[in-house]
Amino acid sequence: MGRYLAQRVGQALLVLAATFTLAFLLLQALPGDAVLIKFLELGLTPEQLADIRIAYGADAPLWQQYLHAMGAFLTGNFGYSIRAGVPVTQLLAENLPSTLLLSALAFAAASLLALVLALLATLGGQGWVRALVRSVPSLFIAIPVFWLGIMLIQVFSFQLGWISIISPEPWEELILPVATIAVPISAPLAQVLIRNIDAVLAEPFVTVARAKGASHAWVLRWHVARNALLPVLTMAGVLFGELLGGAVVTEAVFGLNGLGGLTQQAVANQDVAVLQAIVVISAAAFVAINLLVDLLYPVLDPRLARGRRTA
Amino acid sequence: MSGAALPLRAGWPRLQPGLLLACAVLALVLAWAIAPGLFTARNPVQGIPGAQLLPPSWAHPLGTDGLGRDQFARVVYGARESLAGAFVAVAVGLVLGTGLGVLAGARSGWVDAVVMRLVDTLLAIPGLLLSLSIIILLGFGSIKAAVAVGIVAVAQFARLSRAEVLRVRASDYVEAAYGSGGRFGAVLWRHVLPNSLTSVLALAALQFGSAILALSTLGFLGYGAPPPTPEWGLLIAEGRDFLARAWWLTTAPGLVVVLVVLSAERISRAIGGART
Amino acid sequence: MPLRRRETLAAVLASPAILRTLPAEAQPATPVRGGTLIYLEQQTYTQLYPPAGGFYPNGGVLNQITDKLTYQNPRTLEIEPWIAESWTTNADRTEYVFKLRPGVTFSDGTKCDAEAVAKNFDNFGLGNRDLRYPVSEVISNYQRSEVVDPLTVRFVFSRPAPGFLQGTSVIGSGLVSLKTLSTPFDQLGDATKIIGSGPYVVQRQTLGRELVLTARTDYAWGPKLHPHQGRALLDGIRFVVTGEDSVRIGALLAGQAHVIRQIQAYDEKQVKDRGFQLFAPSTRGVNNSVVFRPDNPLVAELAVRRALLHATNAQEIVDTLFSANYPKATSIIASTAQGYINLAEKLTFDPALSAKLFDDAGWTMGPGGVRQKDGKQLVLTAYESPPQPRNKDTLQLVAQQWAKVGVRLNVLAGDLGSRTLDSLDPARTPVAPAMVGRADPDVIRSQYHPLTRNVLLQAGGVATKVQNFADARLNALLDGIASEPDGEKRMALVADVQRYVIDQAYTIPIFEEPQVFAASPRLRGMGFEAVGRPSFYGAWLAAR
Repeated sequence: MGRYLAQRVGQALLVLAATFTLAFLLLQALPGDAVLIKFLELGLTPEQLADIRIAYGADAPLWQQYLHAMGAFLTGNFGYSIRAGVPVTQLLAENLPSTLLLSALAFAAASLLALVLALLATLGGQGWVRALVRSVPSLFIAIPVFWLGIMLIQVFSFQLGWISIISPEPWEELILPVATIAVPISAPLAQVLIRNIDAVLAEPFVTVARAKGASHAWVLRWHVARNALLPVLTMAGVLFGELLGGAVVTEAVFGLNGLGGLTQQAVANQDVAVLQAIVVISAAAFVAINLLVDLLYPVLDPRLARGRRTA
Repeated sequence: MSGAALPLRAGWPRLQPGLLLACAVLALVLAWAIAPGLFTARNPVQGIPGAQLLPPSWAHPLGTDGLGRDQFARVVYGARESLAGAFVAVAVGLVLGTGLGVLAGARSGWVDAVVMRLVDTLLAIPGLLLSLSIIILLGFGSIKAAVAVGIVAVAQFARLSRAEVLRVRASDYVEAAYGSGGRFGAVLWRHVLPNSLTSVLALAALQFGSAILALSTLGFLGYGAPPPTPEWGLLIAEGRDFLARAWWLTTAPGLVVVLVVLSAERISRAIGGART
Repeated sequence: MPLRRRETLAAVLASPAILRTLPAEAQPATPVRGGTLIYLEQQTYTQLYPPAGGFYPNGGVLNQITDKLTYQNPRTLEIEPWIAESWTTNADRTEYVFKLRPGVTFSDGTKCDAEAVAKNFDNFGLGNRDLRYPVSEVISNYQRSEVVDPLTVRFVFSRPAPGFLQGTSVIGSGLVSLKTLSTPFDQLGDATKIIGSGPYVVQRQTLGRELVLTARTDYAWGPKLHPHQGRALLDGIRFVVTGEDSVRIGALLAGQAHVIRQIQAYDEKQVKDRGFQLFAPSTRGVNNSVVFRPDNPLVAELAVRRALLHATNAQEIVDTLFSANYPKATSIIASTAQGYINLAEKLTFDPALSAKLFDDAGWTMGPGGVRQKDGKQLVLTAYESPPQPRNKDTLQLVAQQWAKVGVRLNVLAGDLGSRTLDSLDPARTPVAPAMVGRADPDVIRSQYHPLTRNVLLQAGGVATKVQNFADARLNALLDGIASEPDGEKRMALVADVQRYVIDQAYTIPIFEEPQVFAASPRLRGMGFEAVGRPSFYGAWLAAR
């Protein structure tokens, strides 16, 4: 176990370093530069532009910039945002918490929605109800996220007037954005849950338990839930990347403050330092979540405790 | 979407009403893409001055856009651009991803380690950020956007095909093929690939739908096809500005995308045989 | 279930919406103090160093937090006292002396006296190499300042500077504290660093999303002849960046915001039908135009540019995309701009003339309906400019019109980085959309001069890819506008430049660009400076 742990952590760090490097190379290769984008319209002379570049260290050779950036990141210094004219850490401090909250709520809402759909689809009501509910996840996947968000605003905020999106109360601010992100995320979760509950219900031990007079609820709690929820944990790691993607779109639609909106602006203005920091943070989160899932899996599922290794 | 990473069981599609409907939808939009002129006589690019933002009518079933162009014609002609984009995206993901995955699965050892860490790295960069960066790097255009979407899908194809290769390799008949003196490449080609193909194809069908969605999201963020190309993502994205005045402009292409993605997903499930 | 939801959605969207009849423009009741105004901006502010604050989202903020030496009456365009109580100038306009109003302070408590004003204009007029401040485009020929006494400041110019007095009234000459003037340029995207003496003060910001201003309770130095005096009536203003057009207009109509900037022509009717207010102040500057970069050989020929000018149907563009608030252009500057002359007869839409010009110049119709000469096809490229109203659609219409005479115009939607680089390279972008707003003839100079905005991309400016195009005659005329002290002679020069630019067909003017705002019926007293930037000094919110 100790060796496995060390190996996984080592891999995770390796992936993180590779991500940093890949992102650095990708971002350096982008045409255009943030200094020109920001300052060209403002009538600076070529000499003044050059001065600004020197101030940002953007004139050094690439390998020096790379080593410098790597060293700075290791000490928690993410550099300076050219677009916003403030340190990147300040931007992150302003934007990260709200996106974390949004993502966490959205993932919780998606899990809940998926569970409700799965239970309805496997155990609920008439046959036709189940069949209908089973097609809901497919529909959820098929709706463009930004379109859903715009429609939700039009209907619930502007037409029905239930929710203010410009000056919301704290409790209402996140309702529509969470719904917007949660709908597409819930779909794969629901599909996995439905498939697993089906499989578990068909297994001999459940049939036996039922034959012995176990109630529906009991079967559900003790066998189905346990076996069906494990894959949800796995999915959490995979879906993380989509949460950020969903946040970019959702924050753009709702004009929310957060990492997603920051990403969009940074891409548009080629604010390389900000993008580098966002990549590293989300990669770190991705790697950490997947590591945690990998390590938790054997603990939760004793059958897999020996020698499991994810692909 | 990551329904993709699901373990899909092999099997052959069974015909069902839903599946038939899905095939019919895809056949129709394919026909739009191949011969748009059969479905509408209007020009999708040249507008009629003075006829802008008309509501739906017999003459203009989906109304007209801000330049007086027939929206139905734009949706029909948009099929070519959108389907081509999705095909390119899937092809890029499929070819690169399966190549990497098969290489890793077949070679194992350090090749496997290196390839899979590379795949992990690709997964670790947020997909949207990666595709936006690639578009900026390659320049704007519908095919370039499709390539960017495809590269994001490489990791999923690679993981799936590697898992499939490992599964098939461990099976008795492949062991037997090796045992009877088969060469590595030949065994791979004759036994491993065909048996891994079903799941990969199922993923490809699913990715086809996702690619259409991803392309429309890029259009929304302003990184999609350049005007005046009628591409579905662009139509949804352009139409949304008129929401207060002409809600049908964004709704109609939006529904078309929903239907097509839904159909692709249905067909993917049929190929994978993992009906829920 | 999903189906039913879809139906409701369609039904709700299709219904004529909740029609609220509001008392239309009731008699101006007694102004009420208090309340926070909610203002929805399309884009975020980027840079708030006043001389670089021309971009409308920047100006919208700066106009509330900074004061200027003088106030340009937006109706009469007269220059009136503000922080300067009075001023004098010599005959050849090389010296200006301003007497300042006593008791004016910046929001950090420091005095806005002659020393502070002198320091401001030293930076504006000369730039600041160490802090990387650019030279203000509204100040020409600046030499130095002299503090005569604590409330008197003199400015000296190397050559006549007739535009300077008006230049002291614009956004770009907003006065800021010495502390702000010691902050490097690249940090001035942060609104909290801008310390002005204006009626509102920055309270907090979330970069890229939101900015909250609060009224300064001790403010007592508004423009002398302004109908409102004393502190601002509102308690504060909340700027919310709302990029989605449909969300801005929807939020306004749903009563969630009080005023929005940039509403599209197609939404104007519904705003008025529902009893909301619509403002469309003119930007009084260079018209929304398509400009050529003659360094590119394809458009180097006068005949080609003239042919394209006559192939462009500006009326059709205005009719298709815009409204009565966007008058068709009749010169390179707006008809409300100073020194405007009507050149409509030179700007006719005449496809036959266009074809003849092409034919005579040897550009013959080739395969695919594209003209060619010496094996070169007449295929041009332009990037859309997202901040300009419906620019993508405008360029697409232009492309359609040019296609009819055998010229292909590719309209690109590039990312900002590529756009910025390519727009400096005449080989890549022979055609570009352009506009700028400012209520002084100097605006023509700042638009065309190689050392300022340089829209034609002449050699000698920031654009290093330019081979050799330069128009000495044009630049001489432009320099004349900047330094001709005699008012009448100056206006004659302005007329000359307009004629010259059109005769050379450097520019195809399309329409006079307004700034369009929509506001709640509750909002009263909203003002605009001379080129359409909002002023909320005298604004107040009536009871519901």
